[in-house]
Amino acid sequence: MFTLRRQIELETIFLITICAGISIFFVTQKNNFQPQFSIASNEPQAQVPAEVVTPKITVFSQISPDGKEKVIMKVTENNDGTKTYAFSTANQGGDNEKHIFNKTSDLQIDMTIPFNTWSPDNKYFFIQENSTNGKSIFVFSATGAQFANGEIYLDITDLFAKANTGNNFNQATGWASESLIIINTTKENNAEGPSYWFEVPSKAIIQLSTKF
Amino acid sequence: MNNKKSKKTVGHYLKIYFFSLFLSLIIFLIGSFLKPQFDCANSKTCKSDLIVRVDNDVMGVFQGRKIIPPKVELAMGNTESPVLGVHVTNSNKHIYIDLSRQILYAYEDSQQIMSALISSGKWGRTPVGNFNIWQKLPVTRMAGGQGTDAYDLPNVQWVMYFYKDFGLHTAYWHNNFGNPMSHGCINMRLIDAKNLYEWADGPNSKQLGTAVSVCSEFKESDIACIQNNSIN
Repeated sequence: MFTLRRQIELETIFLITICAGISIFFVTQKNNFQPQFSIASNEPQAQVPAEVVTPKITVFSQISPDGKEKVIMKVTENNDGTKTYAFSTANQGGDNEKHIFNKTSDLQIDMTIPFNTWSPDNKYFFIQENSTNGKSIFVFSATGAQFANGEIYLDITDLFAKANTGNNFNQATGWASESLIIINTTKENNAEGPSYWFEVPSKAIIQLSTKF
Repeated sequence: MNNKKSKKTVGHYLKIYFFSLFLSLIIFLIGSFLKPQFDCANSKTCKSDLIVRVDNDVMGVFQGRKIIPPKVELAMGNTESPVLGVHVTNSNKHIYIDLSRQILYAYEDSQQIMSALISSGKWGRTPVGNFNIWQKLPVTRMAGGQGTDAYDLPNVQWVMYFYKDFGLHTAYWHNNFGNPMSHGCINMRLIDAKNLYEWADGPNSKQLGTAVSVCSEFKESDIACIQNNSIN
């Protein structure tokens, strides 16, 4: 009898302790809630519905192959359901940051910095926009300088479509040399098409015999 | 008698004709089979020029285009003895190269030290097999190829040869890592190649250099290197 009563008491204390612990945990979490800032990460963070009105800012970056420069993308989730992407370049330590480009778009559009974004001489970089219409590639000067016609960026996908090659833009894998971006294509029947070079800044599109 | 002799002569020539064709085919096939599959990645330099070399005032050529090589100060590089290193090496270091996914992994025992996207052979095959680093060079000049594929690249940094003149090294002339882009060597970003160079060991008087396994496919989960058509 004594043993049974003691056991019931122990179970009660144990349950109360667990409940108290869980309550303390949730209260602490609620009271300590702060917007999250992720720095220099290449992978997007899991999106959690915002409980407060403070915009959430996530930072991504990609370093150049020689490790001297980096492209930085700051993504702000605005209260009206849009995202603002701010692109800048800086040296490895984050000094000498130069603002390059801003774009605000709805949540269905996602922008990324590809791994091979930098030209081998660090003069240019490209970014990728993913939407329900497909991919778009924009090339920028690393200094923010405009191209010959006063353009801030070159829209490779648009220029490729206007070239009427008979093939569809599929992806830009990287740089073949200091000014050549490698473009892979698909044919109308979705079969693999030929590869091309896009030459910056002449905007020339050159079909290749070699597939990349 | 003459007619019979004439018919025999035609058949005789036909037999010789087909036999010659057959023999030519056999010689062609044997010749193709005996041809070395992996001569050199850098055919102009394979035998004599695998040395430390800085060429700061020379233009490079790749894919028919002129390239400005980065300036290199040898004093900034690692100037350790290229073959008989003075370091005591760690035999548990192992480099795996996954050709299917174009990723290099460096392990120390079962611990992964680094992984990096690479570019393996496109204009020449990268040999699949198990090797050891036999020479480390902080900087050298690479040249090879023929016609439109000819290349001449000064100031190639952080070079580690693992089979003949097939090596791991930086590639300043392209940025297309994760895709085949070389004449057989393993191209890496400068930051990755430098880190790997500083970590890996060359051979010394006591043991071989760091092991390098070129895999058709590599499984990270159980550190398994799958090799098809391995050369050794």
